Amino acid sequence: MSVKTILSFIILITISFSSCRQIPKDALTIATAANMQFVIQDLMTSFSEQTGIDCNLVVSSSGILTAQMSEGAAYDVLLSADMKYPQQLFKQGLTLDTPVVYAFGKLVLWTMLELDELSPEVLIDQNIKFIAMANPKTAPYGRAASETIQQLGIQATIEKKLVYGESISQTNQFITSKSADIGFTAKSVVLAPVVAGKGHWIEIDPAYYRPIEQGIVLLKANPDKFSKAQKFKEFLFSDAGKNILNKFGYSTKS
Amino acid sequence: MIDWGPLVLTLKLAVVTTILLLIVSVPMAYWLANTKKRIKPIIETLVSMPLVLPPTVLGFYLLIVFSPSNAFGGWLDEQIGLRLIFSFEGLVFGSMIYSLPFMVHPIQSGLSNLPNSLQEASAILGKSKITTLIKVLLRNIKPSILTGIVLSFAHTIGEFGVVLMIGGNMPGQTKVASIAIYDEVEALNYGAAHVYSGVLFTVAFCILLLVYLVNGGFLKRFWK
Repeated sequence: MSVKTILSFIILITISFSSCRQIPKDALTIATAANMQFVIQDLMTSFSEQTGIDCNLVVSSSGILTAQMSEGAAYDVLLSADMKYPQQLFKQGLTLDTPVVYAFGKLVLWTMLELDELSPEVLIDQNIKFIAMANPKTAPYGRAASETIQQLGIQATIEKKLVYGESISQTNQFITSKSADIGFTAKSVVLAPVVAGKGHWIEIDPAYYRPIEQGIVLLKANPDKFSKAQKFKEFLFSDAGKNILNKFGYSTKS
Repeated sequence: MIDWGPLVLTLKLAVVTTILLLIVSVPMAYWLANTKKRIKPIIETLVSMPLVLPPTVLGFYLLIVFSPSNAFGGWLDEQIGLRLIFSFEGLVFGSMIYSLPFMVHPIQSGLSNLPNSLQEASAILGKSKITTLIKVLLRNIKPSILTGIVLSFAHTIGEFGVVLMIGGNMPGQTKVASIAIYDEVEALNYGAAHVYSGVLFTVAFCILLLVYLVNGGFLKRFWK
């Protein structure tokens, strides 16, 4: 086989593959915080069934998504894990509307180990070597975990055991791989079908941390998708949307 | 105020990794350059794997293998007291694997390119293989060794994926500069991210420039 034949083969294969993965151009691009990655699938399916609008999904941490959007990433909807990042985009004049809270997240303590008793007090146990939490500086669930630890007054005792995931997803990875013995994560994660029944978890008393207000904001990037984005927002606040959110452990305003 | 901790930690990691890597790589490169065993291509392939595999693959498996809840990780932890995840030692270990080809390749090709007569002459004069290696061969491949040292050092400074996977972002332990930059960007602290990035850029530029100057013979010409 000559070089030419091989080259044309490669080109042919590349072309045929690239035509396979066509994403509809008019699909709505939803950027979502890592804690929403499980619930969003259900939300999207249900939304698409109801409205016939296709959606693309981008999952990352709220901070990274915000940084990307500030630099021109053409996402249509941001489902953030807090209000800070949507507010930031609003201040930059990149949004269609003002950010609103669509759900309140719940913090849980999750472990793959068989412990005699699962409670926040177990964190000071000597057998617990590593405690995973998301980075409190950038992830809202990390912030809530950090506040909980301070409220419990065990910050100094467990400081050396704390390991930080860059987002709630990485924190989950530390917990499920048992690299960390126990960790703080979002309730929506432990209720997700993929991990349901894995390990043990307890909900942290919401009195220990400030509410995790999750915000939605619509972006200006693609003018032709404004009405679709608006429909998604309406769906999120409809009974159907709220039911899905509640099913995954979020609380919503009635 | 900028926290200099991550930059200091990055330098410390790069220095420790490079020194240990040099100690490991010289015998390995010497063996690879001389052996005629059938297993050689396999070892060469394994050494080169970190060039191709994403660092996340390495990080993922290090995380699983060295987790204290795992049999092997637990044994290491209890018997030797060595914990290779969420610790500085773990980062050094991960970085050594990750930068291995950058140290082994230049030294191996340096050794392979030396004329056999050097080794033979030394053998006739009654010197052992180790003496020959240290006193004759290595002295003749100084540019290759320098390249290996500098590339491993620079590569470790630029490491992100492995550290992100097995580090756990612990201040003073595993929070290196590349992770700090990621954090600051995420927290929208672009100022701090610029400072860290600027320092890394300058350090990397100076190191590489130095290598090209030395290996290109510019310095020698300049001083003469």
